[in-house]
Amino acid sequence: MDFEFTEEQLEFKKSAIRFAQKALNDKVIERDRDAVFSRELWKKCAEFGIQGFSFPERYGGNNADILSTMLLMEGLGYGCKDSGLIFAINGQMWSVQMPILRFGSDAQKDKYLHKLCSGEWIGADSITEPDSGSDAYSLRTTARLDGKYYVLNGSKTFCTMAPMADVFVIFATVDKRKGFMGVTAFIVERGHAGFSVSKDIDKMGLRTAPFAELILEECKVPVENRLGKEGNGAAIFDDVIEWERSCILASLLGGMERQLERCVKYSKERKQFGKTIGKYQSIANKVVDMKVRMETAKLILYKVAWMKKAHGKATMEAAIAKLYLSESWIKSCLDAVQIHGGYGYTTEYELERDLRDSVAGTIYSGTSEIQRNIIARYLGL
Amino acid sequence: MRILENLEKFLLTEIAVDLGKKSLDPNEDLLEQGIIDSLGIMKLVLFLEESYGIQVDDQDITPENFQCLSSMVKYVEQQLQNK
Repeated sequence: MDFEFTEEQLEFKKSAIRFAQKALNDKVIERDRDAVFSRELWKKCAEFGIQGFSFPERYGGNNADILSTMLLMEGLGYGCKDSGLIFAINGQMWSVQMPILRFGSDAQKDKYLHKLCSGEWIGADSITEPDSGSDAYSLRTTARLDGKYYVLNGSKTFCTMAPMADVFVIFATVDKRKGFMGVTAFIVERGHAGFSVSKDIDKMGLRTAPFAELILEECKVPVENRLGKEGNGAAIFDDVIEWERSCILASLLGGMERQLERCVKYSKERKQFGKTIGKYQSIANKVVDMKVRMETAKLILYKVAWMKKAHGKATMEAAIAKLYLSESWIKSCLDAVQIHGGYGYTTEYELERDLRDSVAGTIYSGTSEIQRNIIARYLGL
Repeated sequence: MRILENLEKFLLTEIAVDLGKKSLDPNEDLLEQGIIDSLGIMKLVLFLEESYGIQVDDQDITPENFQCLSSMVKYVEQQLQNK
């Protein structure tokens, strides 16, 4: 394993930090309070090259490898305080763009990837349904072949960016009897007949990336919009979720670094009982734990990137990284609030928002419980 | 050991261990019976890649190739020929 970064990679991370600090942090408190997504910031990110970063140049991308992409996300997580925006961008990159790139036809790639990389269009994916969350492949949405169309019926929920997305990757079953191998992926455009989006669902964190329900009522999707083969949906989902887990987590790593620096600074400045609070072991230990979690997380995550680059797959390692980073992020957010005391509890200090945002990490892209199931299976249990 | 027996043994001892089955019919639909689920397929793919030195692309993980023992054997033989 070699985690030596090139000058170019490190410079790109630095420029991502500078870009995020300068362009993305305006009015985050207000946008979080009002649950408002900013299309303007989305476009700025695309202009900077984020959405297209690891996609081929012919689609407006940068063709970067996974380690470089993770560094970019780390920089973004460090510089940008709007975790919802970063989450939504990652959702599009790994759950919409990546499956189209890896499993799509040339026509699908030509039609969608440029618009998504350029920020002209927003993409969302949806597998979760009211009755199927962790047991995602027991989904009930059906797809029936009818001439030149598939007709989709069912509903989806918790679809991040549904209120404003232009195109969706939606999973439905073409044959319920085949279980997870009946699941098939489709590219559905907002304008397709029979497709609609319900009102936003209010939530605890990541509030700048709204989510909603999707309704599919005799929704007609052209046959050429099937993504991959019939029954290939679960494999597509499993393939791209490793990317998603790795890269969303990288942004959390950046957040951990930002938070740690802030806590170190505060612990050296804030005085109580005549000395700085960092001199008390009970505070210093919390800061040290934050540092240890961050360094451990870094190694676990870089190992996943290295394995994916070298071998293509890293299912168990990605599950370990997802489990460890998301749970560590919550612990560090709690520590940061506690270290800052009453100030940490205020909206103004922006630590409580990090904490609210962090909770989603152990739920999205497979809950902590599911990550443990995956690891247990690989251990032969 | 032939591919069929090797695969049957792996499925019975690693994937379908809770079902208490002694054997599998080569044409038995393992998907409809829920013998192979989404986590089981990951282990199965890993087993095929390590045992036969083949690369199982995600595009190949379809009912056509994994519905029953016979289809799996056919798939592995094809991949071995293409190596």
